[in-house]
Amino acid sequence: MNALTDFFRGPWTIAVYTWREGMRKKTLVGFLILSLLVIFGSSFLAAFLDPSMVGDVESDMNLKLIKDICVTAIALFGVLITIFTSASVVPNEVENRVIYTVLSKPVRRFQYLLGKFIGVQLIVLINLALMTGLFFIALLVRQSVMPTLLLWSAMLTYFEFLIVSAFTFAVSCTASSSILPTIGGLFIYLTGNLTEYLKDVNVRAGQTDQWLDWLIGKTASFLAAVLPNLQNFSLKTQILNGQPNDPPTDVLIPNLICYGLLYGLSGFLLSYWLFRRKEM
Amino acid sequence: MSAVIQTTKLSKVYESAWGGQDVHALKELDLTVLPGEIFAYLGPNGSGKTTTIKMLLGLIFPSSGEIEILGSKDISSSKVKRNIGYLPEGAYYPDFLRGEEILRYYGKLYGLRGADLERRIDQVIETVGMTHARSRLLRGYSKGMRQRIGLAQALISDPQILILDEPTTGLDPIARKEIRDILAHLRDNGKTLLISSHELLEVELISNRVGILYQGVLQAFGDMDSLLTNRDISINVSNPPAAALAILEEKGIRKEDEAGGSAKLRVPEGMSVYDALELCKSQSIQLVSVAPRRETLEELFVRTVGAAEAKEKVAQ
Repeated sequence: MNALTDFFRGPWTIAVYTWREGMRKKTLVGFLILSLLVIFGSSFLAAFLDPSMVGDVESDMNLKLIKDICVTAIALFGVLITIFTSASVVPNEVENRVIYTVLSKPVRRFQYLLGKFIGVQLIVLINLALMTGLFFIALLVRQSVMPTLLLWSAMLTYFEFLIVSAFTFAVSCTASSSILPTIGGLFIYLTGNLTEYLKDVNVRAGQTDQWLDWLIGKTASFLAAVLPNLQNFSLKTQILNGQPNDPPTDVLIPNLICYGLLYGLSGFLLSYWLFRRKEM
Repeated sequence: MSAVIQTTKLSKVYESAWGGQDVHALKELDLTVLPGEIFAYLGPNGSGKTTTIKMLLGLIFPSSGEIEILGSKDISSSKVKRNIGYLPEGAYYPDFLRGEEILRYYGKLYGLRGADLERRIDQVIETVGMTHARSRLLRGYSKGMRQRIGLAQALISDPQILILDEPTTGLDPIARKEIRDILAHLRDNGKTLLISSHELLEVELISNRVGILYQGVLQAFGDMDSLLTNRDISINVSNPPAAALAILEEKGIRKEDEAGGSAKLRVPEGMSVYDALELCKSQSIQLVSVAPRRETLEELFVRTVGAAEAKEKVAQ
C-alpha cells in the first residue's frame, strides 16, 4: 500500500502544479470567459432574435434555441480548452526546460506523464463543470425543473473530451511545439465526429467496381473501425427535444464510460510509448 | 578515492534524418569526478558539455559506453536521483508561485513531506540567502534571485552531487560573487559539484579539477595545479619608451599590457628575473613591481582549444 501511495505522490504533485499553471493560461481563461458569456447571454440573444416573446410565456422554440446555443458552446469551447491544454503541457515544459528539473528528480517518465495527464483532466473537468453549472442554473431558473439530463450529458461529454485529450496528449509527446498536437487534436475531434459518414462512404464505395473507390472505401472502413465514434457521446437531440429531467435514452451509459476509458487509456499508453525514450 | 561520477568510453551520436551526416557529440569520454571537489567542465559551445550532463541525468541516452554514479550503473534509480541536484542553464520557474512554493513543489518530487520538507525549505533558503524574499512571487525576483532559487531547488533533497549548467551566466558581478561563495561553501561541506561554465575566471577561483572538452573529446583533464603549468614573471614598469620596449622584445621580453602610462612585461621561460631587470635598467625603464605569474584558466582553455583546432585542421 505504501509503495502504491509513494508511486502516486509524484504524479499527484505534478498534476496539481499543472492544474494551477493551466488555470492561469490566458488562452484557456479567454475560452472559459467567452463560453460563460455565451451561455449567460443566450437568454438575451433568444429574446433579441424574437422580441415578441419577451415577457410572454416561454415558447418551446425560444427555449430550444437557448439550449442549442448552450450545448454547442459547451461542446465547442470545451473541446478547444481540451485540445489546447493537452497539446501544450508537455511541449511547453520541454521548451522552457522545466522538464529537465523534474525528470532529474526521482520521478520516472511514466509518473511524469501520468501527472501531466491527470493535471490536464483536472483542468478539463473544472472548466466543463463551470460551463455546465451555469447552464444548469439557467435551465433550472427558466423551467423550475431539475435538469438532470444535462448532468448525464456533461458526464458523457467529459468522456468524449477524455478521448480527444488522450490522443492529443500522445501527439504532443512527440512534438517540440504545441502547433502539431493542436492540429492533431482537431483532426481527432473532427474525424471522430464523422465516423458514421466514413461508414457511409464505405457502403457507397462498394457499389462501384473501380479500384479507386474500393481503396477509398477500405480506407474509410479502416478509419471508422479504428477511430472513436464521438457522436455516441452526444445527448444534444434529447436535450433539445426532451424534458430536462428525463433519463438518457438510446445510450448505454456504462458501455460508453468503458468505451471512453478504454480509448483514453490507449491514448495515454501510446503517449508513454512515444515518450519513454524521447531525448530531451 | 572512489569516484562519485565515472564515465567509461561514453559516446553520443545524433543520427541525422533524411540522409544527412550524423553528429558525434561525444566520443569515448572517460571522466571521473571525485567526492568533495568542484569539477569544472569546460568547452566551447557545441563541444558536448550539455550532452554529457543530460546523459548523466537520464534526459538523453548514450549511444555507447557506461555511466556510473555513486557506484551504481542504474542511474535512473530513485536512490541515485535522490542524490543529484541539477540546475539547468536558463531554467524557467513559473511567475505565479512564491519562492518557497517552488521549493515545496520540487521537495515533494523528492518524496519530502510535512515537517521534514518545511525544515529543508528553511535550510536551503537560508543557504542561498533568500530568507527575505521567500514569500514573494517569482515575478518580483531579479535574475540573480531566480538563479538562487534555482540553486535552492537543486539543493532541496540535500544531494551529494550538484550538477550546475552555467550557474553564473548573465548575473551581475555581485550576484556572481555571492553564487560563487555559496558553491565554495557547499564544497567545503562535502558536496561534489560538477560545473559547466563559460565564466572561466569564476570557476578558476573555486574549482579543484578541470576537464576541457572540444568536439566531443576531452582535451585536458586533471588538477588545476598540474594543468596550469606555464608560470612566469611579470614586471610592471612606468612610462617605457617605445624604442626601449622594442629592444626588450628582441631579447624575448614581451609587452603584455599597457594602460595609463604603465606597462606589464612578461619575462619568458628560461630567462632569469635578474637578467630581465638588468635589461630594463640598461634601457632606463622605471620599475614599479615584479611579481610571479601563473597561467590563468582562460589561457589554458585558449591554448588547449587552439591546439585541438590546429590538430583538427592538419588532420583535414
